[in-house]
Amino acid sequence: MKTFAAAVVLLLPCLAAAPGSGTGKALGNPAAPVLVEMYSDFQCPHCRHLHETFLPAFIKDYVATGKVYFVCREFPLQGFGPKSREAAAWATAAARIGKFQEVAHALFENQASWAMSGKIWETVATVLTPAEQAKVQAIFKDPAIAAEVQHDVDTGNRVPVKSTPTLVVTHRLQQRPWDYWQDGGTLFRGYVDALLKN
Amino acid sequence: MPFSRTKVLTVGVILLRLVLGGIFIYAAYTKLREPWQLFAAGIRSYEVLPMQAADLLARTLPWFELLLGVLLIVGRWLRVSTVAVSGLLLVFFTLMVRAHVKGQTIDCGCFGPGETISWKTLLRDGSMLAGSLVVTLVAFRNRSKRAETA
Repeated sequence: MKTFAAAVVLLLPCLAAAPGSGTGKALGNPAAPVLVEMYSDFQCPHCRHLHETFLPAFIKDYVATGKVYFVCREFPLQGFGPKSREAAAWATAAARIGKFQEVAHALFENQASWAMSGKIWETVATVLTPAEQAKVQAIFKDPAIAAEVQHDVDTGNRVPVKSTPTLVVTHRLQQRPWDYWQDGGTLFRGYVDALLKN
Repeated sequence: MPFSRTKVLTVGVILLRLVLGGIFIYAAYTKLREPWQLFAAGIRSYEVLPMQAADLLARTLPWFELLLGVLLIVGRWLRVSTVAVSGLLLVFFTLMVRAHVKGQTIDCGCFGPGETISWKTLLRDGSMLAGSLVVTLVAFRNRSKRAETA
């Protein structure tokens, strides 16, 4: 958790809007040579694992150094039921006030708890001040939030994203989905390195 | 002058060889234009080979496919190249059927990323395998005929 928090703090000045969405779910330099879009589901255990193990080092080594522009996309899987989509909507609402990373981290860290109890908002609220909570609750009701989540899902389906987590890599207008994580992401880092060398 | 059955068969087999050769060259190109790690991830997803073996295959197989494609098109070492193509296609087809039966939603890896194994890909690769077997049989039959004539 500390590593991830440090990586996020390192990147706070770089927080920027995702291309075309304007949601504050992006990290790094928009002019970076490689764009990586992470399609994930807050209830997916593999996504949580990736978030906790692979992502902090990847953000530190590639995003903070300006090599990769990193964007989070929502891809709530139907198999997990409506809670996934609701969590995605809360995170999207939090992104509007620049709190996406904190909320995403809270949702992944407490995944088992809120998935069982259904207390998604209570989990989200733990990382927000009372003023921020009021703002996020108001934004959550905006139909544009659900539409944005659906937009991510539709975009993912067009790639196509077949499972979560999938990282979609765009380099020189070529888009490639990557969903192989059995090696902890070593091969993926090699792939990004190779793209950066080209 | 009407074509005899033998001539039609000969022309058909040459066309089949050219098509297969072209497909193999294209398959090699789609892999070689990307970093090898992308193909390695595809091979690893089949969960058949150890990681190092999958990585070695990802680095070498596209070059082998390119060589076989060229050999098929130019018509050199036909018996060796057709057997190799048929063998490769048989292995690919078997692995794809296995993955499909197991319900794995993985990329076929045939022509670069983004093509999930489906009935469509199985039908396509199955047809290619059938075509390559015909080309292989004809290559061996022609050799037997030449031996008899001599």
